[in-house]
Amino acid sequence: MKLFHALILFLAVCGLARAESTPREVIAKAAAAEDASERMTLIQSLLGRGDADVPVLMDAWRRDQIFLYADAAGTVVPVTLTGEADENDAQSAVRVDNAQPLTGADGKPVRVVADDWDTAEHDARLRRAMKAVVDLIDVGSPDLATRIKAINTVGYSQDAEKLPALIARAEIETDPKAQVALREGIALTRLKSSDRAERLAALGELRELHTLSSTDFLRNALRDAEQAGDKEVAAAAAKAMSAVESHRKTVNFFGTIFRGVSLGSILLVVALGLAITFGLMGVINMAHGEMIAVGAYATYIVQNLFTTGLAISPFGMSIKLPGMGAEGWLRESYFLFALPISFLAAAFVGILLERGIVRFLYRRPLESLLATWGVSLILQQLFRLIFGANNVQVGSPSYLSGNWTINDIIFGWNRVFVIGFAGLIVFGTWLVLTRTPLGLLMRAVMQNRQMAACMGVRTQRVNMMTFAFGSGLAGLAGAFLSQIGNVGPSLGQNYIVDCFMTVVVGGVGNIAGTVFSALGIGLVDQSIQQILLNPVIGKILVLLAIILFLQWRPAGLFATRSRSLD
Amino acid sequence: MIKSITRTLGLSALALGTAAGALRAEDTVKVGVLHSLSGTMAISETSLRDVLLFTFDEINAKGGVLGKKIEPVVVDGASNWPLFAEKAKQLLEQDKVAVTFGCWTSVSRKSVLPVYEKNNGLLFYPVQYEGEEESQNVFYTAEAVNQQATPAVDYLLEQGYKKFYLLGTDYVYPQTTNLVLLEYLLSKGVPLENIGGGYRKDDSGKIISAGKYTPFGHTDYQQIVAEIKQFAAGGGAAVVSTLNGDTNVPFFKEYAASGLSAETCPVVSFSISEDEFRGLPADQLVGQLGCWTYFQSIKSPANKKFVKDFESWLKKSDVPGIVKEGRVTCSPMVLSYNGVYLWKAAVEKAGTFDVDAVREALKSGISFDGPGGTVTTQPNMHLTKNVFIGETKADGQFKILKEFKDVYGEPWLKGKFK
Repeated sequence: MKLFHALILFLAVCGLARAESTPREVIAKAAAAEDASERMTLIQSLLGRGDADVPVLMDAWRRDQIFLYADAAGTVVPVTLTGEADENDAQSAVRVDNAQPLTGADGKPVRVVADDWDTAEHDARLRRAMKAVVDLIDVGSPDLATRIKAINTVGYSQDAEKLPALIARAEIETDPKAQVALREGIALTRLKSSDRAERLAALGELRELHTLSSTDFLRNALRDAEQAGDKEVAAAAAKAMSAVESHRKTVNFFGTIFRGVSLGSILLVVALGLAITFGLMGVINMAHGEMIAVGAYATYIVQNLFTTGLAISPFGMSIKLPGMGAEGWLRESYFLFALPISFLAAAFVGILLERGIVRFLYRRPLESLLATWGVSLILQQLFRLIFGANNVQVGSPSYLSGNWTINDIIFGWNRVFVIGFAGLIVFGTWLVLTRTPLGLLMRAVMQNRQMAACMGVRTQRVNMMTFAFGSGLAGLAGAFLSQIGNVGPSLGQNYIVDCFMTVVVGGVGNIAGTVFSALGIGLVDQSIQQILLNPVIGKILVLLAIILFLQWRPAGLFATRSRSLD
Repeated sequence: MIKSITRTLGLSALALGTAAGALRAEDTVKVGVLHSLSGTMAISETSLRDVLLFTFDEINAKGGVLGKKIEPVVVDGASNWPLFAEKAKQLLEQDKVAVTFGCWTSVSRKSVLPVYEKNNGLLFYPVQYEGEEESQNVFYTAEAVNQQATPAVDYLLEQGYKKFYLLGTDYVYPQTTNLVLLEYLLSKGVPLENIGGGYRKDDSGKIISAGKYTPFGHTDYQQIVAEIKQFAAGGGAAVVSTLNGDTNVPFFKEYAASGLSAETCPVVSFSISEDEFRGLPADQLVGQLGCWTYFQSIKSPANKKFVKDFESWLKKSDVPGIVKEGRVTCSPMVLSYNGVYLWKAAVEKAGTFDVDAVREALKSGISFDGPGGTVTTQPNMHLTKNVFIGETKADGQFKILKEFKDVYGEPWLKGKFK
């Protein structure tokens, strides 16, 4: 009985919708409908038709922006609200069914308060139905990304009814990427065809395209063909699959190299500062990780100063810093300002640490280990007191949170950025050390402190500057790490082991060694992960490999022979 | 003369003190709170201590339990599992608490379990867990796997998702949950090839581990996200994540950077509640899914009152070091709250604080109208409750998409779905 009722309703609304209503009218009717299945059938009746208004209205519906205004007679009129709200919170209203302003009985525009009215209801099924309607409209969208996404969705549904829409688009499509998506979509849909020749042709096409997304569909086609005992189709499907698999191998191979280099760059960025404080100066600086955290928190502060301001409560005091409330590109550019500030902040803490503690311990490396470890604990607790025990949120600017996908290999912008960034700071460090008077003094002091002092070099000052420089580099690393991971009191702890590992494997006292060891460790780590597909065992194997390597070459990749280290 | 007055005064003061002491001993009941207030778990567990103290104050203001005021004994497990057992022993043997509310991680629960069984104590455990346990000395207000993981998968299946990638942190809860989920998905007709993350078989060919695991504190999710992107390339895929704590940040940042989104491949996370959101980049998680037995966004008068009362209690609270700003309520907190009221109801039904009698009362099926709806105790020491699926919003709250009413808590699920 219920079914019969629904059927009548369905026929009735279909008849109505198809016969005279514009898409707008159908949406208005659906929004006002009380019954969920009636809404559903109305929306589905829009499949394959519709205009530019439809996605806008459906988006408004999904965002609860269609309001069910009831006029004096009690008739429900779905409206959208536009313009500024006045002192009564009322906005001008536009009728959904004819895009005209809402008018009262007297013909004057009616202003509507959003909170007074219910919004049009929607559930997950209805949203999916709306999405299907929008997808077919989007196949012709002028925006490339939207178009490709819509073509994919239609293609993956393998719905023969939508095939004409794809073929029609393929005839006029000019963009090569969208063309591939269309060819794939058409071929995938034809895989389900009852015509065997068409299926074979589709398999040939898919083999040529060898897209990763066709894997599952090809597997299903292969299974169907095997079950049906159709050897020729099965063989074609198997060929297409092996083409996809060989493409996948290429993608994974180059992807692994890229990921390895990017992980290596991160190791390099975090370890470069340590290569100076530990490698060149010989200070076992356990607080290096906290210098990274100082940089990350500096980034957090800069971000908040650019946006909403910052409220922190160190030691029971409550400090409120006003924000600039920046929007758009200015807000996004906070990260560029954060880079130098994080360098300076960490360098400043480095100076305090050097002047306060480390300078008394140059001759006693083991005691510097204990002292700096203590400092690291104190700093961690300070972060907790100032910023709280929870991690803080650092947003990624849009230019660091997208990606280029070239031939299915993902090049994340943040990853490309870190590779370039690592290259830059290595180059910068090299310039400072070899092309500036300060660098000359640094090298002289590190090689032989007493002799440099005899020659009139102010070794105390050079020590301080070198330590500050190394700490500043750690701060830069912290600014970057805030873009890919957590910013919290224990940030430094997560990286300190990796830092020492990188520097020791590279050879203490040799910056080029650190570069090679960082990239090497990164590549080995990612390769093992790719081969074993198990990050837990991968991590263990990398550590094991490093232990074995150090057994073989205790001084690391590039052993430095210097008197200062004897 | 003066001397004698002072003596009398002194004596009477002493007498008064004893009387007051006796009065206190008679009119209060000691209740243990066993959570980590320092160490890695402190971020999550401190919230539970706060809500427990709030609940005790609320009950005491209305006259207490059986006419006795609740006297909390708060101890710190310090995220150190053996220490949890020691503190539990102290609570039971020294302080002689009537009941304990506590533990977050499964390993801390496993560590105190022998202590409670030996001393016949009673522990209320409030956090989602993997099941496969049913002690007579623990009442699990926690979500069992069928009150969180399987409803979430039901929802995804209903939404038309066909492929599931299982991802988790490498410890007992994700491992067990994913094994149960694997069996459940297979029983729902999802083929093994559509379940991503890999699996491991033992010599007899039985699957002993399903899904992809990363260590605690893992920071590099490049390879896993690339794998998920390939897995999801054909559409209809979702990620089921039991990643714990702050590893979610690098994961979701990488996820967003690789071009995956809630629209192309949603992630349903079982370990991210409103409280965890406070440390996550909420804008990068918009549209991802969560599944709990309570959300702060539930629009019921009981919940509104609970949230408001908790906030005003926080404002007045003089607990040292308590965080007053930006606080939220979440499922483990509400399950702690419910636990206290259920214990109170059981004690009142039994008419005594005796653990055996209270246990029998709990098993008899006691209901409480909590902030997340009515909950009812079960004979297997678990809790029947409503399950909600929610979608994350930019403000760190959840928009409720679906509600499963009165789901029976079932701890023994391994091998159940065939």
